[in-house]
Amino acid sequence: MSSDTPSRVELLQGTLDLLILQTLLAGSSHGHAIAKHIQRTSEELLQVETGSLYPALHRLEAKGWIAASWELSDKRKRARFYRLTARGRKQLAAEQSKWEAFSRAIGLVLNPAEQEER
Amino acid sequence: MNDFFRKLGWLARRAAKERELREELEFHLAEEANEREATGLPEEQARRAARRDLGNFTLVQEDTRAEWGWTILEQFVQDVRYAVRTMMHNRAFTAVAVISLALGIGANTVIYSFMDAILLRTLPVARPESLAVLNWHSNEPKGARPNHVMHGMDGSTWTEDNGVSSGIFPFGTFELLRENGAIFSSLFAYYPTGKRTVLVKAQAEIAAGEYVSGDYFRGLEVPPAAGRLLLADDDRVSAPLVTAISTRLSERLYGDAANAVGQPITIDNLPFTVVGVTPSEFFGVDPNASPDFYVPMHANLVLDGTESWAKTAETYLDRNHYWVEMMGRLRPGVSLEQARSVLGPQFQQWVGATATNERELESLPALRVKEGAAGLDTLRREYSKPLYLLWAMVGLILAIACANIANLLLSRATARQREMAVRLSIGAPRMRLIRQLLTESIVLALAGGVLGILLAFWGVRALTLLLANGQSDFPLGAELNWHVLTMTLALSVLCGGFFGLAPAFQATRADVTPALKGERASGQRWRAGLTRWRVGLSQVLVILQLVFSLLMLVAAGLFVRTLGNLQSIQMGFNRENVLLFELNARQAGHRDPEIVAFYEEMRKRFEAIPGVRTATLSHASLLDAGRGLELRVAGTPAPDTWILNTGPNFFSTMQIPMLAGREIEERDRPSSPGIVVVNERFVKTHFGRENPLGRRVTLGGPHPRDMEIVGVCANAHYGQLKDDIRAVIYIPYNQGDYPLVQQMVYALRTAGDPSAYAKTVREIVQQADSHIPVMNVTTQAVEIDRKMNQEIIFAWLCTDFAILALVIASVGLYGTMSYAVARRKGEIGIRMALGAQRGTVERMILGEVCVLAAVGLGIGLPAAFVASRLVESFLFGVRASDPLAALLAVFVLVCAALTAGYIPARTASRIDPITAIRYE
Repeated sequence: MSSDTPSRVELLQGTLDLLILQTLLAGSSHGHAIAKHIQRTSEELLQVETGSLYPALHRLEAKGWIAASWELSDKRKRARFYRLTARGRKQLAAEQSKWEAFSRAIGLVLNPAEQEER
Repeated sequence: MNDFFRKLGWLARRAAKERELREELEFHLAEEANEREATGLPEEQARRAARRDLGNFTLVQEDTRAEWGWTILEQFVQDVRYAVRTMMHNRAFTAVAVISLALGIGANTVIYSFMDAILLRTLPVARPESLAVLNWHSNEPKGARPNHVMHGMDGSTWTEDNGVSSGIFPFGTFELLRENGAIFSSLFAYYPTGKRTVLVKAQAEIAAGEYVSGDYFRGLEVPPAAGRLLLADDDRVSAPLVTAISTRLSERLYGDAANAVGQPITIDNLPFTVVGVTPSEFFGVDPNASPDFYVPMHANLVLDGTESWAKTAETYLDRNHYWVEMMGRLRPGVSLEQARSVLGPQFQQWVGATATNERELESLPALRVKEGAAGLDTLRREYSKPLYLLWAMVGLILAIACANIANLLLSRATARQREMAVRLSIGAPRMRLIRQLLTESIVLALAGGVLGILLAFWGVRALTLLLANGQSDFPLGAELNWHVLTMTLALSVLCGGFFGLAPAFQATRADVTPALKGERASGQRWRAGLTRWRVGLSQVLVILQLVFSLLMLVAAGLFVRTLGNLQSIQMGFNRENVLLFELNARQAGHRDPEIVAFYEEMRKRFEAIPGVRTATLSHASLLDAGRGLELRVAGTPAPDTWILNTGPNFFSTMQIPMLAGREIEERDRPSSPGIVVVNERFVKTHFGRENPLGRRVTLGGPHPRDMEIVGVCANAHYGQLKDDIRAVIYIPYNQGDYPLVQQMVYALRTAGDPSAYAKTVREIVQQADSHIPVMNVTTQAVEIDRKMNQEIIFAWLCTDFAILALVIASVGLYGTMSYAVARRKGEIGIRMALGAQRGTVERMILGEVCVLAAVGLGIGLPAAFVASRLVESFLFGVRASDPLAALLAVFVLVCAALTAGYIPARTASRIDPITAIRYE
C-alpha cells in the first residue's frame, strides 16, 4: 500500500476520512475527483491509494456521514457522486478539532525549544 | 439503528450494489486513463498505467464490499450452504445424526412442555407475583387426628416435612387475618363445591363450582367477560342467589357470554341468577380444577343445606372446624418474609386459644405463607416428582444422542483431515475453519431440532391422552408454546455447538505437511498419537452411551415389574364384566325417605335389563371408597375400620365369596332389624377364632345404632390397591339415618362387554327422572387401570425410552466399530495374510466390543443401583436393587452390543488380504 516515492507522505491511519469529508465540504464530487483534489491541494504530497479510497467512501456512506447518488460527470458520463450529509458536517467539525489538537500536541513535543521561548 | 436498516436495505439489493461498485471502479479507471492520455501517453499505455495504479481490482472490490458490513453474515450463509451440501452428500451419516438427535430433542420437548404447563405457568391474572397462599403445617403426622386442634376437616391434607400440611382453615382464621390490612390489600377465601347438577333446558348436566368470598374477584383482579363478577355484598346470609359462570359454561348453556347475563340457572334444584361471566383464560386459583361456576361463600347455607357436610351458621363460628382456603394479594412493597413474620405469630396466638387440651397444644399448626403466583400447588405435588424423573430419562437419551453425534463427527473429522490441511495451507485462518465446522454441526443439530419439534407435536398429544386416560375434563393443557420452542431451539444449538467443538478443533489442528503427504507416507508417530487420542475419546463416548442405556434398561425393568405386580394383585372380587356409574338423586331434589325407595326402584330396573345378571349399589365404588365413622364392637372402639354402605346383591354382583352367614338382601329394608356384613380381616381383629355371627356392632353418630353381624365375606381391596387389606364392614345403605344417603354408585354384572349397556342405563335414568345425570360411567376393569395410571405410564414410557436409548447407543457402537475396522484394514489384512482365520478376526473384533460392553457394565451396574434408589417411591413389590431387573438389563444390553458389533466384525473377516495390503 505504501509508496516509496520520497516526495510523497504516507497517509496517517484515519486521516483519509477527515480529508474526504473536508473535500466534500466544497460540494459533491465523485471518487476520482476527490482523490485528485486531495493530491492537488496537498501539493502532491499526499497520494490517495485507490485501494483505500473506495473502502473509505463506502465506510463513510455506511456510517451515514456522506450520501451517494448517480449523476452525470462533466464529461457527460454516469458517475457515483458523494455529498456531505448533516451528520457528516457535524462529524467533520469534531474530527477537525480533534486533528488540530493532535497536531498541536505533536508540534509541542517535537519543538520543545519554541515552547520555552514563549 | 438507522445505519442498521441502511445496511439491511443494501443487503436486499446486493446484486445491484455489486454492479454499481464495478461501474464506479470502472469509471475511476476511465477517468485515470483519460487524465494520463491528456499528459500525452498513447491510449493503450494510459489504460494500462491506470490499471496498474489501481492495483488488484478484485481486492479493491473485496475491501470495499467488506465496508458494507455484512461479511460475517455472508460467510455464514456460505457456511450454511456448504454445510447443507456436505450433509446431502453424506446421506447415511446425516440421517443417523438427524434422526437420533430428533428423537432426543423431541422427547425433551415433550417432557419440557409438560413441565412448563405444570411447574412453571403462572395464573392468568394481573400481577400474579404479589399473590400469596396460606397453608398450615403440623409436625404431628396424619392419622393422629385426635391430638389435633382440627376436630373436623373438609378438604385435602398432604404429608410434608415429616408432618401434615393443608390449605384449609376455620372461617375464624380468615376473619382474623382479613382484619390485618397492613400486609394484604385483600384477602379472600374459597373452597370447591364439588360436582353439582346444573339444569339446562330440562337436561341435567354435571358441573363443578367454587365457593368464593366477596373479595375473591377483586383480590385476583379479574375483569368480567360480561356482566359483573361477585362482590362483597353478594356474600352474606340470605342474599339473593347469584352466580358468575365460566365462559365455557356460558357458551354451552346460552351460546354466548353476553347472553348469559341475567339468565336463571338451576344448581342442585335451587334457582340462581347469572350476574356475569369470567374471562375464558381464567380457571380459578387451582390449575388442577377449572370451575364452571362461582357462588358466594354464604350460599353454602342453602346449597349444602341437605348434604351431610352441610355448613350451618355454627360452622362459620366453629374454631376447630377446618374448611376454607385462603389467598391474599400483598400490599406493594410487602415481601413474603414480612407477611410471615407478621401473620405467623398472629395465627399462633389465635390457634393456641382453640386448643382444648395439652396434647393439642403440643401439635399446634403453624402458618405457612407461600408464593401464590402459580396458584395452588395440587398439580405440582402430584406430578413434579414423576416429571423430574421423566426429565432425567429424556436428558439421558439426549446425552446418548449427542454422544452419537460427537462420535460421528469425530470420525468424519479424521476423514476430512486432508481437506482441512489443504485449506489451512492455502491460507485459511483456523478460526474460520472452526467456525465453518461448527456451523455444520449446528445446522445438523437444528435439522434434528426441527424434526424433533414435529415429533414433539405428536408426542405431546399422545402423552396427554395417556395421562388423561379417558378423563374428559383433564386439566393439563400442555402445548408447544413459544417458551417451549425457544428452549428446544436453544437446546439444539447448544447440542450442535458443544458436540461440534471437539471434532472441529481436532480436524483443524492438523500439522499440515504429513496430512498433505497422505496416509501412506504418514509420519507414523504423529498419526499414532492422534489416532490414539481420537479412538480414546470415541471409546469413552461409546462406554458412556452403554452406561446410560443400562440405567434406562434397569429403570424400565423395575417399572415393568411394578406394573406386573400391580396387575396380579388379588382384588378379592371379579373385575371383569362390571359396569359402574354414579347417580345423585339428592341433587335433583329427592329427599328422605323417598330417596332410598327411588334408588332401590332404579336398581330393580337395571337388574331387569336383558343381559344384566345382577345389579347393586354402594355409596362409592369399592376402590374409591374411604368412609371411616365412629364404630364400637361390644362397647370398645374399633378404629381403622372402613365402611361401605351397600344395597342388596352387592356380594353376588362383585363376586366376593361369603365365608359364613348371608349377604345383604332385598329383605333388609329401612324398617327391618339393622344388620351388617363384615370381612375376614375385621373378624380376625375383633373376634379372633370366635364365631362373629349374631354379635353386634354399634355405629356412632347422632343416634347410635346397633347392628347384628349376619355374614362374613372374604377380604377384598377397599379404597386402594397397594396397601394391605383393611377391616371393612358393609352396612345396608337404606337402614338408619346416618350417614345421609346422597350419590350412589351402581354396579351391574353383565353378560359380555359391560360398556355396551351404558346407553340403556342412560335411557332408563332419563325416563325415571330427567334431572339426574348419569355420571362417571366406566367399567370395573378400567377403574382399576386408572388407579395404576401412573405406573402404566411409567412402564410404557420407560420401556420406550430404554429401547430408544439402546437403539441410539447401538448405532453409535456400530459406527465406532465400523470406523475402527475401516481404519485397521491394513493390519487385519496382514493378520489374515499371516494365516489368521475369518473366525479369529471376527472374534477379535467382537472381543473388543465385549471389552467396551464390560467396561460399560462395570460402571453402569453400580451406577444403576445408586440411581434406582431415586425411583424407589414409584415401585411396588420390587426392591430398587431387584436382581431380576438388573440381570434382564444386562442381558438385553449385551445382546444389543453384540448385534451392533457383529456387522463390523463380519466386514472385518471378509477383508481380502491382497487388496488391503496393496491399498496400504
